[in-house]
Amino acid sequence: MSDQQLQNLIKMVNQISANNLHHGDEHQAATVVAGHLKKFWARSMKEQLVAYAAEDGEQLSPVSRLAVGQMRA
Amino acid sequence: MVHYFEPGKVALDPDRDYGTPARLSETLVSLSIDGVEISVPEGTSVLRAAALAGINIPKLCASDNLEAFGSCRLCAVQIEGRRGYPASCTTPAAEGMSVTTQNGKLGKLRRNIMELYISDHPLDCLTCPANGNCELQDVAGAVGLREVRYGFDGENHLHAKTDDSNPYFSFDPSKCIVCSRCVRACEEVQGTFALTIDGRGFDSKVAASQDDGFMASECVSCGACVQACPTSTLMEKSVIEAGQPEHSVVTTCAYCGVGCSFKAEMKGDQLIRMVPYKGGDANQGHSCVKGRFAFGYATHKDRIKEPMIRETIDQPWRAVSWEEAIAFSARRLKEIQAKHGRESIGGITSSRCTNEETYLVQKLIRAAFGNNNTDTCARVCHSPTGYGLKTTMGESAGTQTFDSVMKADTILVIGANPTDAHPVFASMMRKRLRQGAKLIVADPRRIDLLKTPHAGETMHLPLRPGTNVALINSLAHVVVTEGLEDKAFIDSRCDVKAYNTWREFISEQRNSPEAMEAVTGVPAADVRRAAREYATAGNGAIYYGLGVTEHSQGSTMVMGIANLAMSTGNIGREGVGVNPLRGQNNVQGSCDMGSFPHELPGYQHVADDAIRSKFEKVWGVKLDNEPGLRIPNMFDAAIAGTFKAMYVQGEDIAQSDPNTHHVEAALRSLDCLIVQDIFLNETAKFAHVLLPGSTFLEKNGTFTNAERRINRVRKVMPPVAGKEDWEVTVDLANALGYPMHYNHPSEIMDEIALLTPTFTGLSYDRLEEMGSIQWPCNDSFPDGTPTMHMVDFPIGKGNFAVTEYLATEERTNRRFPLLLTTGRILSQYNVGAQTRRTDNKLWHEEDVLELHPSDAELRGVHEGDWLGISSRAGQTVLRAKISDRMLPGVVFTTFHHPGSGANVITTDNSDWATNCPEYKVTAVQVEKVSQPSKWQEAFQASDKRQQHYLKQPVDSAPAQENLS
Repeated sequence: MSDQQLQNLIKMVNQISANNLHHGDEHQAATVVAGHLKKFWARSMKEQLVAYAAEDGEQLSPVSRLAVGQMRA
Repeated sequence: MVHYFEPGKVALDPDRDYGTPARLSETLVSLSIDGVEISVPEGTSVLRAAALAGINIPKLCASDNLEAFGSCRLCAVQIEGRRGYPASCTTPAAEGMSVTTQNGKLGKLRRNIMELYISDHPLDCLTCPANGNCELQDVAGAVGLREVRYGFDGENHLHAKTDDSNPYFSFDPSKCIVCSRCVRACEEVQGTFALTIDGRGFDSKVAASQDDGFMASECVSCGACVQACPTSTLMEKSVIEAGQPEHSVVTTCAYCGVGCSFKAEMKGDQLIRMVPYKGGDANQGHSCVKGRFAFGYATHKDRIKEPMIRETIDQPWRAVSWEEAIAFSARRLKEIQAKHGRESIGGITSSRCTNEETYLVQKLIRAAFGNNNTDTCARVCHSPTGYGLKTTMGESAGTQTFDSVMKADTILVIGANPTDAHPVFASMMRKRLRQGAKLIVADPRRIDLLKTPHAGETMHLPLRPGTNVALINSLAHVVVTEGLEDKAFIDSRCDVKAYNTWREFISEQRNSPEAMEAVTGVPAADVRRAAREYATAGNGAIYYGLGVTEHSQGSTMVMGIANLAMSTGNIGREGVGVNPLRGQNNVQGSCDMGSFPHELPGYQHVADDAIRSKFEKVWGVKLDNEPGLRIPNMFDAAIAGTFKAMYVQGEDIAQSDPNTHHVEAALRSLDCLIVQDIFLNETAKFAHVLLPGSTFLEKNGTFTNAERRINRVRKVMPPVAGKEDWEVTVDLANALGYPMHYNHPSEIMDEIALLTPTFTGLSYDRLEEMGSIQWPCNDSFPDGTPTMHMVDFPIGKGNFAVTEYLATEERTNRRFPLLLTTGRILSQYNVGAQTRRTDNKLWHEEDVLELHPSDAELRGVHEGDWLGISSRAGQTVLRAKISDRMLPGVVFTTFHHPGSGANVITTDNSDWATNCPEYKVTAVQVEKVSQPSKWQEAFQASDKRQQHYLKQPVDSAPAQENLS
């Protein structure tokens, strides 16, 4: 995985989160985001995101972090 | 016996001219014509009634696509109880009327009229290009003209000069009978009003604009005048050169998403001309300059005629047999998967190819590659339409037929430029505007539709690029807060909980036109007026294009449009609806056919076990239950080194996709790129295998247009390299060890129908029977579905989605103070690979940068200056075109020429839900320069090198050349 690829994934997931903040509280928004990633993202992209969240996750927005957490669960 | 003519129930012969247009009154009148009793709808002309009864009255100025004019008087008849010889074209049929069309007096009258016509017409029939297909000649024969008593000694027009300026047709006024059919076709059919009759009496002549000549006039070369001409005055140059065609085949145009039907008129396997087919349900006998005339690319010298391979992209190509090319491809793909894993390869289907070909490519990827790494160019155009419409209304498609616009009272066009990108539909729209429908255009540019001659009320909402969602929210805010909703529709057809949530959101003051004015730049009063006009129109119809989808909130905007339509009850009947205007010919079809990585054909998700198992049973293979990579994800993975091979059929991602530097880096990273195309396109310059593609003229199949209409594509000439595109995919699958066997594309369609619930009633036999079918076509809708969502939505209740406006991250600043938006023009199509190889290039030899006079003045820019355009992604150089149709602060260009590098400056930003690129918003700076950009210089050198590799002899040594 390149830095650029990871940066793009982080940007994408944060953008999805930002566009779904209206779904109630952060947990409800995160559920929608996790559902979106599950439905539309490739396996390898989800794995990379989960790995990043586990190792660092600094650049993930709060909802993105929660969404990745839900995907892991 | 009385013949009854009932519109819609009696099949008319599309090859016959019934003289005047049909009337749709439900009241029938009965009359007798030459003793034949017939009933026709009230308002039908006697000429048409006679034609419907099988009686041909001679005519010259009448045609059934034009309103009656009554100038030639050849169609004169006698009517019992009425005086004189009325023209049957302008005389409405009346109850109890008794008409005589042939007797001695009428015969003499007609002969006299014809004698006058012929007295000023060259008698060169044997050498005339219309010989054998000339209405004047036919009528002279029909009336029994035997002599012309007047001679040619007097003043005449026989030496009038021919206007050859248009590349596709000539205008020879010496043969003109001044019937005005061309003028009326330009007005009534095309809606341009470029032609007129100049002068009076004997001096009357057809003139283009202010007698400027066709090429310099406002003429858009749609060909309607040529088709209308009853003589050889307006004649295709291809017919003048080659003579009259001897047979024809009805097929579907391969340009835009309108999907016009044409008669490909042939001499043997040589295409002489394309004539719009009156029986075509999408175009009803009309055409544009691309479909009508720009077909010469099919026989252009640049066509790739044999398969080619090379080890690396810095080597010359080696022409090989099909077998060797396919074996080489299969070996490479298998080696890469063995080394880098199952998911290290993928492919891209094409919106320019047929449904059957697209279906096979995604099947190849899912079944033979063993992953879901399939995507299509709809990713970069209408993927947000799929997401947005499926989320709100349950189906990833537009809701109407094109015809529906003729019942619209207010037409709202958002981010679309129909006169350039969907010209034939634009002509229909203009016809409706001339009838009095109101037009609201939301677009940063003042598009030509706003300049429709004789249109009713028009309104322009010139919003800033990137603020669509803010605008649609404020339109909906007005609807909700001013009580303009259709409460009955909402209560009965929509999910009330979702509606109430949305209603609460949209009612907030921050979504009001006044609050959003600072964001959109559109005066609040105008937004309020537009919202009221749309909501209270009776029938409000929305049409949108890539100006909606190609944004960071493209999907949000599509949902906002659906919200607006549902809240006002503008769904589920004719005259209303949400209508995405699809860019390429088969965008709808490529999406329907399962090109997206998360969906099997018919928008069936790969994670659904029951659905997957249905496909696994028919395809005989286990399928992956996880979505695959989208195009931009493939590029990222290629640069990261985990994605190593691609099969690209009929797309040119190197030219059409954003951030060219990034795309080129990705393509260079691949170990195997297989490109199947008709030319060495920009993507093919990075390829290891080049497989010759076939044009739409060389294959059988179907295209699906923007109104979900499935039309047949019929082969009229053999493929230049011996294989239709679907056959190549079949060969590749078999070489990879996955068996595929089809004898004809009809068998592929049968498989599609078996697996796709919205296609179960579809087959080639049904298409032959019906001409075209709009899906869904199944047990519930056996004849297809012209208007969707009439009773309910596929998801049950309509789903209002909250559409919060978020500004794009692409912002202007002091370094990049202007916003660039990109688009298309009439004469060119997409990457221009086809249209640049025709005389259409005469209208657009290069891409230019349009900018507002104030922005030009500020920078000291004059028309034609070289301008350097810089963005955060890159730099390119284009010539300046100063245009007051731009907003100050907004610049525009096209991407039809590869060397322009329009996509060098567009960025990686994309729609949050679908990754559709944000082509419409790029912050740029513009300054005068004196030389091409570095990228353009490198492009020119690379192009020269790759063109040289193509011309190497077959057995040339694969050594690296250094020609730059």
